[in-house]
Amino acid sequence: MPTNRAELSVACGPLAGPVLGRVIAMLAARANLPIDRLNDAVLLGDTIAANSRGAVRDGRVRITIFAVSQALELRVGPLVEDGAERIRSAATLPGTGDVLSRLADDVRVESDEQGEYLLLEVG
Amino acid sequence: MDDDVFDVWLRVPARPENVALARQALAGLCEALPTSPKVLADVKLAVTEACTNCVVHAYPNGLGEDAVFEVEADPGENELLVIVRDYGRGISPNTESPGLGLGLPLIAALSRTVEFRGGTAVSGTEVIMSFGLDDDLGDGNRG
Repeated sequence: MPTNRAELSVACGPLAGPVLGRVIAMLAARANLPIDRLNDAVLLGDTIAANSRGAVRDGRVRITIFAVSQALELRVGPLVEDGAERIRSAATLPGTGDVLSRLADDVRVESDEQGEYLLLEVG
Repeated sequence: MDDDVFDVWLRVPARPENVALARQALAGLCEALPTSPKVLADVKLAVTEACTNCVVHAYPNGLGEDAVFEVEADPGENELLVIVRDYGRGISPNTESPGLGLGLPLIAALSRTVEFRGGTAVSGTEVIMSFGLDDDLGDGNRG
């Protein structure tokens, strides 16, 4: 297991935001992200926690976080088919647009035999 | 990933810096629960001790791919159940331990109940702790 990696699984609901936010903030600090990007990473965590319920199979948000120098990568999933798009749609605000794309430097979708993954990079 | 039982499941490499990560995750969990600062402090300290034991004692041969520890937490109506687990060598007497030997008694003092599973014949150790969420005194089983 790479050293700067954390795997987190949390039930959708009121626990997801606080737990995800704390873990992401800590790893973002470890990756030496500047404070504005650290805040963006925490907001990404809050956005994922708030909008994942319809995109996961069993009511749990699963996220793997990789911290590298000056960057943080979040791998959300496995998700249901079109789960990544569901999260992006749910996180779209009038006048602001796609919140994930606003906060992250890179937003990608990958798939494997377990399902779909939403990959977000901040740094 | 055997993560579908508890509300919160975290797996990290068994490195010293990740003890603080586990502590932060539990702090975030308690933030969302109706509990007192004293209970939160007890949970954080006990989890810190249990995770530190994983880092210091579980993997004497160094960090391989599977040198990890896991923290699971499940809040009930009045109780928070926390499990800290490693896949290392288990609990055994160690006269050359770098610690003072206060970790396990401290966990027992801070938690309402505690159970240790594992040993030399079993790979890994589980520390299963419960904390009273409505325990305003935060005394655990001390009184």
